[in-house]
Amino acid sequence: MAAPATERTTPSFTVGAQRVVQMDGTNLARVGARPRLTRYLREIWDFRHFLIYDSHSRASSQNSMDALGRVWMVINPILQAMVYLTIFGYILETHRGVTNFIGYLIIGVFTFRFIQGAVTGGANSIASNQKVVQAFNFPRAILPISSTVRELFATVPTFVVMAVLVYFLGDMQIGDMVREPITLSWHWLLFFPAIFLALLVMVALSLVFARLVNAYNDVKNLISIGTRIWFYTSAVIFSVDRFADKGHEWIMWLMYHNPAFCVLDIIRHAWLYNDFADPYRWIVLAAWAVVGTIIGFIIFWEGEETYGRER
Amino acid sequence: MSVPTPSYTPNYTPRRANWLASNGTKTAEGLDVDPEILDDGFGFDEIEEIPWDDQPLTHSAPVVETIDPKKIAVAVDGASKTYRVRSSSEHLKTQNRVGRRIQRVLGSGWAEIPAVEEVSFVVRRGETVGVIGTNGSGKSTLMKLLTGKIRPTSGDVYATSTPVMLGVNAALVRTISGRENIKLGCLAMGLTPKEADDRFDMIVEISGLQDALDMPLRAYSSGMASRLQFAIATAVDPDILLIDEALNTGDAQFRARTKKRLDEVRAQAGCVFLVSHSLGTIKQMCTRVIWVEQGRLLADGDPEWVCAQYEEYTDHKANDRVRSAQIVYDRTLLKLSPVHIEFTEGTRPTEASQAR
Repeated sequence: MAAPATERTTPSFTVGAQRVVQMDGTNLARVGARPRLTRYLREIWDFRHFLIYDSHSRASSQNSMDALGRVWMVINPILQAMVYLTIFGYILETHRGVTNFIGYLIIGVFTFRFIQGAVTGGANSIASNQKVVQAFNFPRAILPISSTVRELFATVPTFVVMAVLVYFLGDMQIGDMVREPITLSWHWLLFFPAIFLALLVMVALSLVFARLVNAYNDVKNLISIGTRIWFYTSAVIFSVDRFADKGHEWIMWLMYHNPAFCVLDIIRHAWLYNDFADPYRWIVLAAWAVVGTIIGFIIFWEGEETYGRER
Repeated sequence: MSVPTPSYTPNYTPRRANWLASNGTKTAEGLDVDPEILDDGFGFDEIEEIPWDDQPLTHSAPVVETIDPKKIAVAVDGASKTYRVRSSSEHLKTQNRVGRRIQRVLGSGWAEIPAVEEVSFVVRRGETVGVIGTNGSGKSTLMKLLTGKIRPTSGDVYATSTPVMLGVNAALVRTISGRENIKLGCLAMGLTPKEADDRFDMIVEISGLQDALDMPLRAYSSGMASRLQFAIATAVDPDILLIDEALNTGDAQFRARTKKRLDEVRAQAGCVFLVSHSLGTIKQMCTRVIWVEQGRLLADGDPEWVCAQYEEYTDHKANDRVRSAQIVYDRTLLKLSPVHIEFTEGTRPTEASQAR
């Protein structure tokens, strides 16, 4: 911290001889400079152990203050699914036209929880880790990536619960719901590539938002409202077809190009209806994953020198 | 900004500082006499001579020196830092009444705090540089600039490899255990898992926390945490090393343990910066001392001389002799030879370091 202004009024003058130092700067490097993109990616690879260890250790200590500990990772989504089931299934009756609505809702809520958590965590990863950023020199992209991977680690038990619930309760019939028996088949394995692509999309979004939040802290307030809007445009709790008969074609178009909706649709088709989703879903999701990751990395890398600095 | 080399020759002739005389013109009172003429035992002989130019402050010809590129470790070229922070009293400065109201609702504005004015110096390989200065003088900011933790507002810092700060600032994650923190810290500094395992025992030994390793960090006392931080920071062997008051943390037992490791690290480092308030340590270890005061580079040179000036300054400050302190400050600043850095055409580094 600087001295008070009154103390700094002394004019700066010297009588000592001016010295000019000439040197060849080829051996030197600018401290704190951003490396080239290829080098940057290689550095991220060099720090992969840090990335994995960081996400693992923090995921497993997330609930260490609660009496029930990690059991909360399972209880939380169940409670959430029950709330949505009550409100949207019974009271608002959004289940019309959806086969196996309980499974539909469970997959939607559980998976979107992961997506939302990953984006929110990733966006705040630089801002909330200022100390780590200032203490160590590693490529900063590690933090948003690690935060996304951490969310995946933390969601593994949730996904297990989701599979169990869908298998046993997914085709339960309440009221006038349409029922179709759920069978376990190799289609269920499509879950893994879908989640992997979703993870890439999350990494891309985290990288972009992490830079935004770092530059303008105010964006943090917009992210929660943004994910809420995303929630309602991803057909988490109701069917897309609800919009079809109302003439809102543009909403349909928006949904079909929404990566979260694509993930949900792929998993639902594989788990609930034992068939493939529209191949277009895979194309959209893969495009988001590949293009998004590339753009996300470039955007994040460009701001590399601005992270964690005191202003 | 490689400026073409001016063909200066260092041709100033040392002349006596003559404060009473204005260059060559005689005053009516005839007071413009060399004070030495009046010297009848007042000790003018003991006044230090300051090299004085014929055209003071304007056309002094710089001394040009060329440094062997292999010998440079760190070059700081006009680096300055002005912090911008959110201040809750900033709205009071706005004159406009409405504007003041609006700023108040928005949580008021940014305050600019100049922490370090433009500083330039070159450190050669093999030097141990002491950095001194009173609290709030900008020492820490300068060190942060050196390690690249903050970006200079103007100017740049160049180094052969990224300088590493050794102190109690290694970040720790409060929710995970000490054991995991050690591993995480090592990996964050770029060690491989195998290297991290190799150094684990050493870190534990230095920290002396064998019994508390599996407790989460929030259960640690602040002393334990800073011991752990310091121990983790010593796990790497940096080429350019910054030690920030590290010697002063912890009890005697801990200090004895760290001394050995610190000597090891220091011995292998190519260049060491030592930030300390203990002038004894500085004089004992350093080959050169930089004094930063009020965000300005005040002196750069021989440890004995700089420390003597600093001691005098702090003594005056401590006894509320503001004027005397100011005189020491000005006197020291007068003797400083400011450095201007020029790079051979086209060799100014822009890239990040190639080797970590």
